Amino acid sequence: MRNYTQTKACDWREQLVINKRKTIGVIGLFILIYLAIGFLLDLYAHNGFAPGNFTNVFNALFTLKIIPWATITMGGIAIVALYVTFALHDRLMLLGTKYHKITSTTAKTPEEQQLYNVVEEMKIAASLRYMPKIYLIDADYMNAFASGYSEKSALIAITRGLMQKLNRSELQAVIAHELSHIRHGDIKLTLTASVLSSIMLIVVDILFYNAIFGGMSNRRQGGGNKLVLIVILLRYVLPIITVLLMLFLSRAREYMADAGSVELMRDNHPLARALMKIGQDHRDNSQSYKKEYGQTQHEDLRRAAYIFDPIDAKIDPVVSFTSLFSTHPSIAKRLRALGFKISS
Amino acid sequence: MKAIIIILIIAAILFFWFIGIYNKIIHQIEAIRNNKKQIDIQLDRRYKVFESLINVVKKYMNYERTTLKDVVALRGQAQKATQSGDEKSRMAAEDGISKIASNLSLVFEQYPDLKADKNALQLQEEIVDTENKLAFSKQAYNDSIEKYNATKKSFFESVVVGACSSKLNFDFAYWSLPEEDIKKQEEYKVKL
Repeated sequence: MRNYTQTKACDWREQLVINKRKTIGVIGLFILIYLAIGFLLDLYAHNGFAPGNFTNVFNALFTLKIIPWATITMGGIAIVALYVTFALHDRLMLLGTKYHKITSTTAKTPEEQQLYNVVEEMKIAASLRYMPKIYLIDADYMNAFASGYSEKSALIAITRGLMQKLNRSELQAVIAHELSHIRHGDIKLTLTASVLSSIMLIVVDILFYNAIFGGMSNRRQGGGNKLVLIVILLRYVLPIITVLLMLFLSRAREYMADAGSVELMRDNHPLARALMKIGQDHRDNSQSYKKEYGQTQHEDLRRAAYIFDPIDAKIDPVVSFTSLFSTHPSIAKRLRALGFKISS
Repeated sequence: MKAIIIILIIAAILFFWFIGIYNKIIHQIEAIRNNKKQIDIQLDRRYKVFESLINVVKKYMNYERTTLKDVVALRGQAQKATQSGDEKSRMAAEDGISKIASNLSLVFEQYPDLKADKNALQLQEEIVDTENKLAFSKQAYNDSIEKYNATKKSFFESVVVGACSSKLNFDFAYWSLPEEDIKKQEEYKVKL
């Protein structure tokens, strides 16, 4: 077990400000890219890539002399897609797990009662108006996540392993972290970013195939080259950019939730201990957890939402491009932000 | 003509901005009031929990029957103080009950029989829960005051508050211990 020492006080107010600024930057960039893609589509639709045409069409679109229908349509699609995702999301998140709901009357064991009490306490500290739904996932690994697009539909799910292996104040810190995700609106934020990036990638894909296969006829007119170049570049670079942006966003929001947990607890030690325990527990049981994560279906849905990304412990439930990077800062970095230093 | 339109647009923007700030501050004030009531709710809940708790403890030992009387007396003081609006003596009475709670926790540690009782165990969790809820509701109350004060005093907002001072400008007191209590708590040492 590694040790940690407190090196400085945890300034959660500062952490919140820093990461709020990061979020505004990322979301601003996202919207800009989205609009740029729409603009590109409009340029394409108005044959702006024909020789000599580019500046004319560009200016006309930019000054709104031509209504940019493609951009507007993309905006509309985004709104509908977001609405549908928000409506279905909280049920999607539990997909593949064995879980049951805990209420004040259905809590069977003292542990479950304690879990309910702890959530209620943190709800009071955060002065939320609604009690979040609590789900207990029947799994040995230690993890937790929050979901729901508003305070009203918020849910917190934690695994049995987490409930049993953490003491009261550590459990409270984890719950405070999850509640902070809810009150900071993180679920809405990351969902919006991921829906926008999916639509963007689809649009670029459509443009790509159009440019490749429609490119022949365009080239005869002699104007397609510029477009083909841009679109090919976009098709391979944009996915990387969006993934990096999403990771940056997700990490910033993790730091914020950690700071929010300290804000509610007014104590940084319980969260630090909980994070150390969760990380250590994943390393100790990596073999059995690998199997357990692997057997749970749709694990990729929850990865970014978990308090601890299994990939940090080299447990990789879904092998994909994004698995190369963790959605979370490393435990050491998170502890440093909380004012601690790990020494082995 | 153009100048008039521009001035009108700017006036409209300012107007809606003003309304936005006004509404935000009203929400913050109501949040403070609600959070204050939340403290009362938690205090009331604590009284009921402790009554049943002391009844369980009584079965095992003659644990100062006076304790129950103390709680009832402090409770009476607190209620009287609330009615007369005397915040200070009310807080003092409530803090008295808090001290009894920590004594009760010590009693639990000393009696293994009591520790083994399932009912008592649940009640012990209940004490921690109750005290936490009370502490967190006080914290939430103070947090909402901090938010309100910071908004009220920042620039632009302060102009709006100045313009509607009777509706927006209040001086809420943070929930805190009286000075002499702070001194006493600071000098407190555990005697082993």
